[in-house]
Amino acid sequence: MIAEEKLKILTESAKYDVSCSSSGSGRTNAGGIGNGLPDGCCHSFTPDGRCVSLLKILMSNDCVFDCKYCMSRRSCDVPRASASPEEICELTVDFYKRNYIEGLFLSSAVHVSPDHTMERLVAAVRLLRTKYAFHGYVHLKGIPKADPALVTEAARYADRMSYNIELPGERSLKLLAPQKSKESLLVPMRQLCREKAAFRAEKRKGFFLPAGQTTQMIVGASPERDGQILRLTQSLYRVNGLKRVYYSSYTPVVQDPLLPAAASPALREHRLYQADWLLRFYGFDVEELVPEGEDLPLELDPKCAWALRHPEFFPVEVNRAPLEALLRVPGIGARSAQKIMSARRFSSLNFEHLKKMRVVLKRARHFITAGGKFCGAENEAAVRGLLTAGERGERARQLSLFDGALPPAAGGALTREAAAAALTGEL
Amino acid sequence: MTYFFDGSKEAFLTAFLLAYCDERAIVTAGSCQLALGQECVFVRADEEKARRCEARLLSFDKGCMRDLGLLLRSGEAGRGQTAYRYLKLIASRKAPVRGDLTEDAVVAANECMRRVSFELHRFKGFVRFMESASGALYAPISPDHDICDLLLPHFRGRIPSIPFVLHDVRRCKAAVWDGAHAFTAPLTKAEVVLSADEEGWQALWRQYYASVNIPSRKRLRQMKGYMPVRYWKFMPEMPAAAVEALRETPASAAAGQDDAPRPRGSS
Repeated sequence: MIAEEKLKILTESAKYDVSCSSSGSGRTNAGGIGNGLPDGCCHSFTPDGRCVSLLKILMSNDCVFDCKYCMSRRSCDVPRASASPEEICELTVDFYKRNYIEGLFLSSAVHVSPDHTMERLVAAVRLLRTKYAFHGYVHLKGIPKADPALVTEAARYADRMSYNIELPGERSLKLLAPQKSKESLLVPMRQLCREKAAFRAEKRKGFFLPAGQTTQMIVGASPERDGQILRLTQSLYRVNGLKRVYYSSYTPVVQDPLLPAAASPALREHRLYQADWLLRFYGFDVEELVPEGEDLPLELDPKCAWALRHPEFFPVEVNRAPLEALLRVPGIGARSAQKIMSARRFSSLNFEHLKKMRVVLKRARHFITAGGKFCGAENEAAVRGLLTAGERGERARQLSLFDGALPPAAGGALTREAAAAALTGEL
Repeated sequence: MTYFFDGSKEAFLTAFLLAYCDERAIVTAGSCQLALGQECVFVRADEEKARRCEARLLSFDKGCMRDLGLLLRSGEAGRGQTAYRYLKLIASRKAPVRGDLTEDAVVAANECMRRVSFELHRFKGFVRFMESASGALYAPISPDHDICDLLLPHFRGRIPSIPFVLHDVRRCKAAVWDGAHAFTAPLTKAEVVLSADEEGWQALWRQYYASVNIPSRKRLRQMKGYMPVRYWKFMPEMPAAAVEALRETPASAAAGQDDAPRPRGSS
């Protein structure tokens, strides 16, 4: 049994990885323990609101790299630990048996050399699949600059692999993660994509990365704009066949002249995820969402913003519009669109029906007609006002009757400016 | 007229036949408030009638018995009536009505089925087994809906070589997999002798749960939304204790702890 202290160190270094999903693998139980659940499954939730699905752990947090943003970097004074493949396997199987976890998320700091680290990761997963006959979910983190043969072998045992792009631009990567390069991340991604396609074409037995690849990038640590980030995302989805791109907004944690001092707003991360969903499930192209050198608007979600830019597309008649058109209506998601598609085969729908079906009309009513009727606001300005008015300002708070304190200086200036603008009618 | 049935499928289908032509029928498995002078019937399952009724309904809608299974497993008081109105609509239209969300009966039935199957999905994650000295696994659960027999195939597919018991302590019944057969049985109280390592693994799991949390981001509302407090009772990681520990350290202090060698990460 692994020592509690070791488990603590190795978990705490792994916990900031955003990826947690356990979906996409239909691996079956072939004698032994475990199988895949294609829908994924969350086993617990921690007080920070995140789910525990996989046993997220590092093999070792003893790193030779010195990435500026990372807490396991060489120059950082933290307790170090390494686990053996046996310890990892035993822990996984015993946690899995008790239904604590859905599988293993194994990663590692670059210990000694990339090849050495990758070898140890592969050894652990091989042991888990062969000796322990474990057929549950395994997510393996790829180590940049490791030998291609090791990468191929890893993919035979893992359900999902991920190389973290970390920073969306090549220059930023060179600056903040000097030992990694764009090529060291993209080359193995392309290799795996190619090999998976070949594996599929040959119709061989067994599995080769059934749940595909993912990646993750930090937003706001470097000057890249949302337009650039989403273009990279789209090419990763379309060219490299990735399943998911995760974003994590930057928080200033290390004092370094190369890193910005201010945290990136959480709302920006949220907008990026919304745009990401539009790319994957709603048939949008990045060119429609945001120009390359610009950010997504923070006050409106990307679908609303697109809809307001394209009044010629609306209103959409819910009783006749094709699925693709319904999916483009702000406030109507995949589930609502499906409900509408199935209900309208029985009878003509009106707004009462939509309400009964629990289609949220707050945004949608400005963009649809039901049986020829329109219930939204008349002009674009009014719609924009209504859709942004509900958003709470970052600094908004309940004032107290006896509140003597003045707002902070920066906030005050901003408020005065806004007040002046409101008075002169500039908005 | 009010028709009481014992909760089983056969009794429900018998009651359904009886109540079919009654415009003001109420079909219920639980207790209900009777109006003054209200007549009621206690329906006993009649196999012949139930079989006939089932065959007829299946000829209209192949999936309706699966739906009925979910509806009757619901823990809600109105489940009998919801199922009655839903099946009556199928019978009167002689066709599936699943997608017709303009009908109140369909919306109510869909919502009810969604709640049952959602809890079923949740429990695939929230069940916690403990290992007994013999190597068999035992998990006490207390779900809102009667789902323990539906959970069994999931775990059987996962750990076919290990016998296990899913014990619904609220309904005093258990779904059992003995390594070769799956069955349900009434079970009020179980005494389990834990294996030697069990405590150790539970402690490790608690340690893992505490370590993977990021204390500076306190989002209890979100946590409780995803994992309602009523499910915490049988979880060895003790989420309640973790939340309590967070309350003792004020937010700023917790953030300070997290400060030290600060990692990359989101908000």
